[in-house]
Amino acid sequence: MLFNSLTFVVFFVVVVTLYWSLRGWELRKNLLVVASYIFYGAWNPPFAALLFSTTAMDFWLGRQIRKAQDRHRKRAWLVASVCMNLSMLGFFKYGNFLLQNFQWFLSRVGIIYQPPHLDILLPVGISFYTFHSLSYTLDIYRGVLQPTRSLRDFVLAVSFFPQLVAGPIVRAGDFLPQLQHPPRLKTNQFLWGLALMTLGLFEKIVLADTLLSGPADRIFDYPGPLVAMDSWAGVLAFAGQIFCDFAGYSICAIGAALALGFHLKDNFRFPYAAIGFSDFWRRWHISLSTFLRDYLYIPLGGNQVRPFRAALNLVIVMFLGGLWHGAAWTFVVWGLLHGFYLVIERIFRIFFEQKPWAGTLPVRLLAGFATCGAVCIAWVFFRASDFTIASRMLGGMFGQHPHGDAILATRELLQIGIVTAGLISVHWAMRDNTFETAVMRLPTWTVTAIWSVMAVAIIFTQGSSNAFIYFQF
Amino acid sequence: MRSSISSFKERLRLPRLFFRRPSREEQIHGGPPLEFERPIPLAPWRGMTVVVILIVIGTTVTWELYCRSLGYAGTLNDNEDLWTLRRRAVTPESLVIVGDSRGWFDVDLDEFQKGLGKRPIQLASGGMCGFPVLDDLAKDESFHGTIICSIVPGLFFAPPGTPPFERGEKAVKRFHSQTPAQRVSEYLAMPLEEHVAYLKPDDLSLEALLSHLPIPNRSGALVPPRLPPYFQTVDRERRARMWEKCAEPGSELAKRIQQIWIPLFTPPAAPTYIPREVFMATMGEAVQARFRDIVAAVEKIRARGGKIVFVHFPHSGGLKELEDKITPRQQSWDPLLQMTHAPGIYYSDYPDLSGFNCPEWSHLTAGDSVEFSKRLVSHLRMALKM
Repeated sequence: MLFNSLTFVVFFVVVVTLYWSLRGWELRKNLLVVASYIFYGAWNPPFAALLFSTTAMDFWLGRQIRKAQDRHRKRAWLVASVCMNLSMLGFFKYGNFLLQNFQWFLSRVGIIYQPPHLDILLPVGISFYTFHSLSYTLDIYRGVLQPTRSLRDFVLAVSFFPQLVAGPIVRAGDFLPQLQHPPRLKTNQFLWGLALMTLGLFEKIVLADTLLSGPADRIFDYPGPLVAMDSWAGVLAFAGQIFCDFAGYSICAIGAALALGFHLKDNFRFPYAAIGFSDFWRRWHISLSTFLRDYLYIPLGGNQVRPFRAALNLVIVMFLGGLWHGAAWTFVVWGLLHGFYLVIERIFRIFFEQKPWAGTLPVRLLAGFATCGAVCIAWVFFRASDFTIASRMLGGMFGQHPHGDAILATRELLQIGIVTAGLISVHWAMRDNTFETAVMRLPTWTVTAIWSVMAVAIIFTQGSSNAFIYFQF
Repeated sequence: MRSSISSFKERLRLPRLFFRRPSREEQIHGGPPLEFERPIPLAPWRGMTVVVILIVIGTTVTWELYCRSLGYAGTLNDNEDLWTLRRRAVTPESLVIVGDSRGWFDVDLDEFQKGLGKRPIQLASGGMCGFPVLDDLAKDESFHGTIICSIVPGLFFAPPGTPPFERGEKAVKRFHSQTPAQRVSEYLAMPLEEHVAYLKPDDLSLEALLSHLPIPNRSGALVPPRLPPYFQTVDRERRARMWEKCAEPGSELAKRIQQIWIPLFTPPAAPTYIPREVFMATMGEAVQARFRDIVAAVEKIRARGGKIVFVHFPHSGGLKELEDKITPRQQSWDPLLQMTHAPGIYYSDYPDLSGFNCPEWSHLTAGDSVEFSKRLVSHLRMALKM
């Protein structure tokens, strides 16, 4: 079920009404579990069984980790949980990818092997709910979380419908405590939740789908060389599209959760105003970057090791982060590129951070635009379906195709320019702020007007329920 | 004592947004605490919500009234989900219409039912290459019904990757992979679309309104030709009828659409990045491959006892001239019938089917489609040996 669909509108109204009408907390939680499974099953009902089996296994393994007397046993149960989750992810998401690469490797050593094509259907949101569930056993192992006694509560923590299929990645440790006591219906919180949902849907339906996705798709699907202007316009369109699409989903999720009395953390914090790549990853898909930081980077030694090893740790984390996004080498290159950026940034910091000019406004602005530009270059690999397209796009962007084709209408170029300029301006204006502070500072009539314009724009756009980009991950 | 607002603002200034500073016990490797609460901005939310609702209702009602004053009325939008609803209605013995918009506009389901004894299922669609649908029916082992296939050569022979072919492919894909949520959304959307006039993605969506802005393009830009505006109503059986505004003699809308067909039906120039000879050879191979695939699909259907008849529906004016020039009958229609050994009805071969006028050169008016269907039935009965 998509947030930008009529089905969801009806579903949400029914769930919210029933939820706040029920008196008992246990009943309300049961309702949310049923609603979440309906939400998920509305894509493909059999996959709801897969979701439940993964969750139930982690619930049981969490208890075993807690019960285990010695560290070796604890570790063995944790390994079982990690293997179970990652093998599930590996089979559904990386099965064909691994087979293709195995075939390629064998062909390199002279063995001809034709693997069967596995007709695997990717369960929607498997990368997200696997991490929701895995965080539970990892935190129990680390001693920062007590296993819950209630399977129902854990099922709800993993499958809570606002964040189930496309994040934010909500750790069990962040959600389970919220199931201890029933939230009270607070009108302001409820209405702020609805306002956030409007903002999220505006970003998705109006900005991403209507103004940016068309030109981005045409540029990346075009089979010939393009002139620099169109190449850059396509990349900027995609940069805006993926932000509005994913941040829009996250804001919707946060708003929907708030309307039900739950608190989810921010997943984006104006990333296109980042100064440096470590800053970018503190602002982009925060729930993933903190997950990788806490469960991978720090256990690898983080930056508490020798500089070369710390740099290698960064590259390993970003390599896996890239692979998490999709079973293709283009995603791996995207991740490695970001790893490389982070290493370069560290080197720069060593040499220049203490210089008196380092913190001046022009340098910060320059660094910010350099970051944004480098991030856009990396997006080429993220969006391109293969390296031929990626290299053609990069060639176009850097002037190798002066006689290439121009395929975007002037109106589309204007759309991309206006949205990009607006997006970057808002990010810079808000980089040290939050939506909450902005709403507090703006006059009431301005907030009302902005909210109204967004709602009217959503209605006038007549969206066609395009799937969110991150569903495929 | 500090006010709640100042305390709230102070919380907002914390480096870790929204979260109180975690105690050491709560921290996971210096990460965020386990419990947190989002701040809610202090604002008169009830009043703001009421105003927003009033503005949204007021604007929407005004827009709806304006659209109605322009002649728009509620009707279904033809999309993959509506198509899938009809595709699901296909039974092994069904009478199915596949193909492009001429088979969609020009067929009256009531007349076909009266004349052929079965109510047809309408699977033809605007700008659609009918081959993916034909191929899908051929692959459906249970299907042994009758297919009436509308042929516009420029669409039916469109190679994979082109918009007409993708349109057919998307519809078939949606039929095979439609989720329960998409199905429910379509059932919810239908009553809305039937009653709300402004729900017209072709003309009145934000995207369509922006695309109509009079902004000239760069010289040499390879911008795809514009698609026609809204000019048909569609019912739940996917029966398309030309909008009266287009059917009026000398209508401005019809003239506008005529001028849209010409660039849309003109074959695109060879791409700049492929030598022209190579491109032409590739296209030629694609057409030959399509002939082979059509023959294979028709044979499969026939082997199960099914029947197929190809129909070329009327066209006129400048579009007829263009089509006759770029896809002459001798190179498309005639070989199709020869290779498939299937019966075909080319409207201009029969005096009773000729003489219909297409106001915008490509489709019959709703009234003419009834008369045309009535006359076509006897030819279909003969062709299908019914």
